[in-house]
Amino acid sequence: MSAVGVTAPLVRRRPPASVRRRRFLVAVANNSVLIAAAIAFLAPFVFILLTALMTNDQALSSKLWPHPFAWHNFVDVFTKAPLWRWTLNTLIYSVLATLGVVVSSVPVAYALARLRWRGRTAAFLVVLVALMLPPQVTVVPLYVMWAKFHPFGFNFIGTLWPVIIPNWFGDAFSIFLLRQFFLTIPEEYLDAARVDGCGELRILTTVVARLAKPAIAAVALFSFLYTFNDFFLPLLYTGEAANHWVLSIGLSEFRSLHQVQWNLTMAATLLVMAPVIVIFFLAQRAFVEGVTLTGVKG
Amino acid sequence: MKRVATAAALLALVAVMAGTASGAGTSRSGPTKLTVWVGWSARELSDFKKLAAEYQKANPSVTLDVVGSINDDKIVAAIRAGTAPDVVSSFNSYDVGVYCGTGAWIDLAPLMKQSGISTSIFPATTNYYTQYNGKKCALPLLADTYGLYYNKAEFAKAGISGPPKTIAQLTADAKKLTIRNPDGSLKQVGIDPFIGFYENVPERWIMAWGGTYTDSKGKAHLATDSAWTKWLTWQKSMIDWYGYNNLVKFQAGLGDEFSASNAFEVGKVAMNLDGEWRVAFIQAEHPSLNYGTAPMPTAIPSLYGSGYVNGTIIGIPKNGKHTQQAWDFVKWITTNTHALAEFSNALRNVPSTTASTHSKELTPDVHFATFLKIFANPKSGTSPIMASGVSYTNAVQDFATKWQAGQVTNLASGLASLDKQLDAQVAQAKGGGVP
Amino acid sequence: MSPWLVGFSVFFGYPLVMSAYLSFNHYDLLSPPRWVGLANYRYLFTIDPQTWTAVKNTLWLIGVLVPLQVLSAFGLALMLARARQGVGIFRTIFYLPALAPPVAATLGFVFILNPATGPVNTILGHLGINGPLWFQDPSWSKPSLVLLGIWGVGNTMIIFLAAVLDVPRTLYESAALDGAGPLQRLRYVTLPSISPVILFAVILGVIQGLQYFTQAYVAAGVAAGQASQAADVTTASLGYPVDSTLFYPVLLYQHGFVDFQMGYASAMAMFLLAVSFAVTLVIVVNSRRWVHVAAR
Repeated sequence: MSAVGVTAPLVRRRPPASVRRRRFLVAVANNSVLIAAAIAFLAPFVFILLTALMTNDQALSSKLWPHPFAWHNFVDVFTKAPLWRWTLNTLIYSVLATLGVVVSSVPVAYALARLRWRGRTAAFLVVLVALMLPPQVTVVPLYVMWAKFHPFGFNFIGTLWPVIIPNWFGDAFSIFLLRQFFLTIPEEYLDAARVDGCGELRILTTVVARLAKPAIAAVALFSFLYTFNDFFLPLLYTGEAANHWVLSIGLSEFRSLHQVQWNLTMAATLLVMAPVIVIFFLAQRAFVEGVTLTGVKG
Repeated sequence: MKRVATAAALLALVAVMAGTASGAGTSRSGPTKLTVWVGWSARELSDFKKLAAEYQKANPSVTLDVVGSINDDKIVAAIRAGTAPDVVSSFNSYDVGVYCGTGAWIDLAPLMKQSGISTSIFPATTNYYTQYNGKKCALPLLADTYGLYYNKAEFAKAGISGPPKTIAQLTADAKKLTIRNPDGSLKQVGIDPFIGFYENVPERWIMAWGGTYTDSKGKAHLATDSAWTKWLTWQKSMIDWYGYNNLVKFQAGLGDEFSASNAFEVGKVAMNLDGEWRVAFIQAEHPSLNYGTAPMPTAIPSLYGSGYVNGTIIGIPKNGKHTQQAWDFVKWITTNTHALAEFSNALRNVPSTTASTHSKELTPDVHFATFLKIFANPKSGTSPIMASGVSYTNAVQDFATKWQAGQVTNLASGLASLDKQLDAQVAQAKGGGVP
Repeated sequence: MSPWLVGFSVFFGYPLVMSAYLSFNHYDLLSPPRWVGLANYRYLFTIDPQTWTAVKNTLWLIGVLVPLQVLSAFGLALMLARARQGVGIFRTIFYLPALAPPVAATLGFVFILNPATGPVNTILGHLGINGPLWFQDPSWSKPSLVLLGIWGVGNTMIIFLAAVLDVPRTLYESAALDGAGPLQRLRYVTLPSISPVILFAVILGVIQGLQYFTQAYVAAGVAAGQASQAADVTTASLGYPVDSTLFYPVLLYQHGFVDFQMGYASAMAMFLLAVSFAVTLVIVVNSRRWVHVAAR
């Protein structure tokens, strides 16, 4: 991606005073805007934290600083709402869905990128269309389908299965991303493996998977994040089955379960944000690489 | 790798499905398990559970699994998906038109005949809102009536002797009881007529002007029934007097309706339109509050003493598996005088059979007595039961909120298009398409 | 490939076809579908008073939120690229909100922006400014959602940052040698080099705008506030206040999953599909003019 160019050797001269002053002012100006922006971005977190530490009456008033600090709010949240169950449900959903996305999208992306077969362009166009299709378009018939399908008397509505299962059949965004990445794998590697007598499947699992680790990691990360935060689909299917709620639904219902105790609601909000932020700090590099990959290759 | 993974997933899926299916408790030896969905939560839910326990003790062949915090959305979703419980209860009758019209709740008439129960043991209004198109798919389970709560301490401070009986008095009293902060914002409000605040919905306020929704042919006539224009005009003039933005800001700082910081209970609003259950809440949360109850003031003097009536309804969804046991429970809880009186005492809701309103078990309460009188008043009315269900009254509410925000320039033409929309909605719900 | 084909036809092809079919029926899931021809479409375009409100709201959102998001992401990325010290910290601070789950972030914002007791208006009050009513005011509810959207712009920002850092220094140097000032370098070197990324961000933003549901649903429900699980019908809060947050996907949800009108909701879905196609097409065709694909 970088252009090839020949640079003339630069001679470093001390710039005149006026230039230096201007540069310094510009640097300060730049940084001050940065600092101001950082404050603006951090402020909501700070306010939420402060409210989470207030008592209920304080939270309802316009006081800004909690007095005393009610640290036990974070513990109270767990006793007032089935936070653990929601977390479990969310994890089941996210982990199974992410697994499904990775396992199903990689072969399809590979087929679209590297194999030659008839209808390949058409299939890719279909993926593109699926990419930009709002889920609301397909949601009604899918819901009807799940509502009328009762194998062995099992009811899908009210469980998370209708949300998990489609992920095992490929996800348009992941397929797109992986395909773009696979396109950059030099054909020589694949040809070398083919000459060695590997079938396409072996090539996929050994050569390609190893080379594409960052891309696959990015896809897994994004799927996990997306499903962890998903609200609309779980709302549709488990909205009335409280023991199957995920964290996002539980949090939105938290206020009506406990008559808007804002201090507890804010504490719960922070607790829901916490796991994702923790994962971020642990896997910072993977995150940033993954996001970069999406945009730059996309 | 992929094939193994898919196979493993399928196996897991089948295992889970099998496990859940057998755990559904359809055919097991031992007592029949009935799932009961109700709208109550917290204190009121535990009161209902006490009643359920009483029934279980008397009927050991049945166990009741009570689920609270249910609303109409959840009921509808469950019926559509086929996961409805054995007995279901809703806080209001808005969707009775849909429940009965589509058969989502079964017709109880044959079961009632079998058990020898006639609709005459229920008051007339409750009979109206539990049936549609000749199908009686629900029975009333305690009723709600609405009246005026007023803060006697604030009245004394403002020098007002008794509760207002006419709209003119209400307006004057509200203005006297309103206190503003030095910066112009509201500190205390006399009465808040803002649609969307607490219990304020059009169908409860319009009772004071004697308004109706449909003409004799069932077509919406809000544009021609002058009650609506009178009410909306009065309402907007009150809101403009407070200042729309002032009122919105004031409301944003109020406590949640069902918390102990309820605006009336903490004295932030001096008068409030509320239901009879508020008596029990005040008793539990602010027993020292000096307040009184009275019928809502009316624009037409002969209407004074009546009010808006609605109530919790209970029914049996179709595709249930234990219809007979479900019916036995429904029958007991809706007609047994002792059960109704006990439940009424706990919840401070109005008992829903004529017999239970006279029961000696009812603990007398001077505040609650007002509501019993309103309930018995023959002029009291309720919301219309329409095929389009709750979207009917929702559409009226949408219009009222636009009107109070000043977004309707011509009230008459606005009401006329509202009528057209309401009729079109009903036609669509009946499946005939747009007329 | 075959499992994917199965999945595609079941979860994508079939619903698309079924949606089209249902849009010509009246279907409430309690009784079988009833053919009504174009009645749903006629109701959608001529009688439903909320249709055009919803369309206008969604178009407003796309027209305002997407450019602002792209601009702020780009602006922040530029600042980060130029900064010398503590880049890591700033980058983390700007990225963190994007990690917050949408429901949590919305709840937080509605609370903070409470016009009477929220911290923002309290601070504004100390500064002598009478704060707006934010989520309670029909003219401010969408801007409040825009603020929420800009707060979460971290993902796009990181992409822009990578792209900006990727622009070869040599291009800047040759431009500087030609006498270009910083603003001109921005316009003639940076922008064209990252134009594919800009296009990507715009398309992504538009797609998200067309599907915008969660934040609007949660914000309206919370701001409508006093309605709780008891006597009142909470669904009347969709679009609070006064339909200002009634976006097209929210209206679709209301008609399909609250009002029982699944055939009608399918008609709405078909219209959304057509609009999505049209908008994406317009953007892609337009992009040929200004997207500069660098030689690789």
